[in-house]
Amino acid sequence: MEIRGYNMPEDLYYEQNHFWVRDEGDLLVMGMDDFAQQLAKEIVYVQLPDEGKALQAGKKFAKVESGKWLGKVFAPVDGELVAVNEELETNPGLINEDCYGKGWMYKIKPEDKGELNNLMRTYEELDKWLAEEIEKYVKE
Amino acid sequence: MEAKYDFANKFGDQVLRCSECGFCQGFCPVFGAMLRPSYSARGKMLVLKEVMDGTIDLNNELIETLFQCTTCNSCLENCPAGVEVPEIIRQVRKDMVHAGSCHPAFEGMNEVLKEHTNIYAEEEPEDFERERNKKAEYVYFIGCVGSYREDEATMSTLELLDRLKLDYTLIDEVCCSGVLDDVGYQINEDLVRKNIDLILATGAKMVITGCPYCSRTFNNKPQYARLKDKGIKIIHITQFLNEFDFGVKTDKLVTFHDPCDLGRHCGIYEEPREIIRKIAPNFVELPHSRVDALCCGAGGGVRGAYPKNSLAMARRRLQEVEDVGADVVLTECNSCVHNLSNAKLRRQKFRIYNISQFINELMQEAE
Repeated sequence: MEIRGYNMPEDLYYEQNHFWVRDEGDLLVMGMDDFAQQLAKEIVYVQLPDEGKALQAGKKFAKVESGKWLGKVFAPVDGELVAVNEELETNPGLINEDCYGKGWMYKIKPEDKGELNNLMRTYEELDKWLAEEIEKYVKE
Repeated sequence: MEAKYDFANKFGDQVLRCSECGFCQGFCPVFGAMLRPSYSARGKMLVLKEVMDGTIDLNNELIETLFQCTTCNSCLENCPAGVEVPEIIRQVRKDMVHAGSCHPAFEGMNEVLKEHTNIYAEEEPEDFERERNKKAEYVYFIGCVGSYREDEATMSTLELLDRLKLDYTLIDEVCCSGVLDDVGYQINEDLVRKNIDLILATGAKMVITGCPYCSRTFNNKPQYARLKDKGIKIIHITQFLNEFDFGVKTDKLVTFHDPCDLGRHCGIYEEPREIIRKIAPNFVELPHSRVDALCCGAGGGVRGAYPKNSLAMARRRLQEVEDVGADVVLTECNSCVHNLSNAKLRRQKFRIYNISQFINELMQEAE
């Protein structure tokens, strides 16, 4: 669905630092949302930690960089990092090209999928949140 | 008759002295990674000859060629005709800015440093859990990359200084702004004044920098002359750590990447090696080392303006690390650490550290 000019697919959860999460049964897939990839501009580096890394909800576990911007990647839930998108190692621009598809970043085995309920999902939540983010970050 | 551009007035004879032999192509990191003739010093001199002839003007079409140089000085070290390409490029960029042509990243950097304390426009520096601006014998000056991009490495360096019981202070430092002079602009006098005033207020007689580019700026740029006038000595951390025995060793195979700003620009090759010899008996040089070291690709603003090409240069350097089979590659420059770390592939299992960071980790393990 489009919200305030940004593509925010309906079937995803959204974390306040602009990472989306897709529930794929046993695993969660996460990536950067359209608002963030537009604001960051060309992504030049994505940190890809080793598989097996323990993740804690709200704690930074990786970083992303564009030309002069450094973004921190925060775990949306407690769990374990089980896979990274290795294509991003030499083609981090996939995030800009297709942030919800080929530009996926990490796969997580969650400890408790119930923690997804802490994330945003409804149109109303996302609309209110994006209005605030646009006000804060998007220059005229 | 005065030429149209200052570079021609100041360096026209040198541009014409370029015999187009192409020796520089064997050493230029930008050409080495991208294989595009106009990127080498020879290519740049050919373009500038056309500009001097009046065939072309300095304009936006020349941005990619003339702003894509890491200022590593490899060409200068290897030019049989002695053409001072880095100085020429520095002036050409000023001429281009004057003519209204500049890479947007550098234009942006100049604007950012008018409003912010660092090149990243970050509002809050890392705390590093240490008091700033106190009276001390030494000031430790971190630099923008160490403060905002390699904070873990910086924290480790500070822990080492604490272990050595150094009486030092951090300051509310601002960007040395030396990079602006390289990319077509002028050093920011407001930032210079802030740094000098903060350093003098500590009473310190020596500034130790984590960044060799900052130490070059403080030592060589006339805007920072007041520090020397006040008897303040500025050294890079490798010149400081060289005096110590650390009591730790590693059996890992270690190599060293010479930062351009430390090596070719300042002639500091031995001090880091003397430190490494104390802690790493299994040391191997990279195929291109000391004055021939391959640039990591970050310098001259290239990491900010041409990040993909910058990382391609870094990957070229890291291939050498892989080729010698090193477990660890040490350097002592946060820009190098940052760019090399970003470029390292997952299959490359060696680790990248500043020397100071590595020593601190060895000392931690020994506890």
